[in-house]
Amino acid sequence: MSAGPPPGERQPAPDEGGDVLQLPMAPRSTDIALGELEIVYAFIYARVGNRADAEDLTQQVAMKAIPRLREGAPASAIRGYLFATARSVLGGFWSTRLGLSEAELHEDLALAVPPAPPSEERADTVQRILAELSDNYRRVLELRFLHGYSLKEVAAEMHSSVGAVKVMQLRALRAAAKVKME
Amino acid sequence: MNKPENRVDKIVSDLLRGRRLKLRGGDAEEKAAITAATRLIATRQGIQRMNPAFRKRLEQALESAPTEPWLTRRAALVAGFGLAAGAVTGGLLGRVMEPAAIAVRGSAGGGPINPIGGRWVDVAAMSDLVEGQGKRVTAGSVGAFLFRRGDTVTGVSSICSHLPCELWWNGGEALLDCPCHPVSFTPEGKSTSTQYPLPALNTVNVRVTPAGRVEVLGTD
Repeated sequence: MSAGPPPGERQPAPDEGGDVLQLPMAPRSTDIALGELEIVYAFIYARVGNRADAEDLTQQVAMKAIPRLREGAPASAIRGYLFATARSVLGGFWSTRLGLSEAELHEDLALAVPPAPPSEERADTVQRILAELSDNYRRVLELRFLHGYSLKEVAAEMHSSVGAVKVMQLRALRAAAKVKME
Repeated sequence: MNKPENRVDKIVSDLLRGRRLKLRGGDAEEKAAITAATRLIATRQGIQRMNPAFRKRLEQALESAPTEPWLTRRAALVAGFGLAAGAVTGGLLGRVMEPAAIAVRGSAGGGPINPIGGRWVDVAAMSDLVEGQGKRVTAGSVGAFLFRRGDTVTGVSSICSHLPCELWWNGGEALLDCPCHPVSFTPEGKSTSTQYPLPALNTVNVRVTPAGRVEVLGTD
């Protein structure tokens, strides 16, 4: 094998030729940051619902967080800082996409920092929200979002028309949003 | 199409197909309904982890970002994703946790393995090899990953060129990853890192018999 010496063994002498490169060994600080960014990604994904936007926003968080990480903050402070940045980036995302001011987005900016990676708790939360809705609203959201039915399939299942299902879907989503905010 | 139920359904349909959120200023009225929809869709898809390719790009961006404290989005993209990473040195987050460092020699590596008294060992049939997929084989004491391209087969050592660990085939990224430290190699045996270039993997001698058997020069 043409490899260099493993850790603990002699270093190559300068006159042996070849460049000497520094190779970081695990656990690398970058790996720690990436682990935290996994949680940030799940947090953001849960709010934008698609991979492309979640990747863009997570990248923004990472890039913005670099200077703070460089300051030598303890690892325990990294998560708090990353989530503060994530909230700010999400606020900017909605603000730009919808033409809203930051003040109108206070609910996004006030989101709590999750203490750990998201778990089944989120699914439970959704079930609780759905349980608060009327039967028809719950049914349309379950079929459309949890089972992935098309509008046509939902209409057939509910013995209704596509147009009526569209209206019901909008009203059900508005109602679901109110449950969340209470 | 401008009716709110149509707009919201368009957004919902896009999200259900995995597309981006495409919003207009007029959608602000339905922000609550839209955010409720994004959360329901995220729930349906379960807890999301970063795609391995994205994670790798993010890692490269973190490690090669320039030292300017605040970056524009475009600058971050150029720095992280377009990158000429070789120009940047040093661990980005070095002060968070000083990494222990070891020295490796920057040599080309990649020479063929010619065991003394070696012999050709039958390791597989051509039909066992799938284009674009690495196959781990052993020829006596010689471990290798084989790669088929049409009628030809190439092979590289299954041992990392730096730490003496068995590589594994990461099919998702089409790379050989080392389990002992964060480095990867292409099927040609070249290190993927421009920041910490390692010697190339040693190659193994491979031949295909007229009967369609694949043989590697190994040991008894």
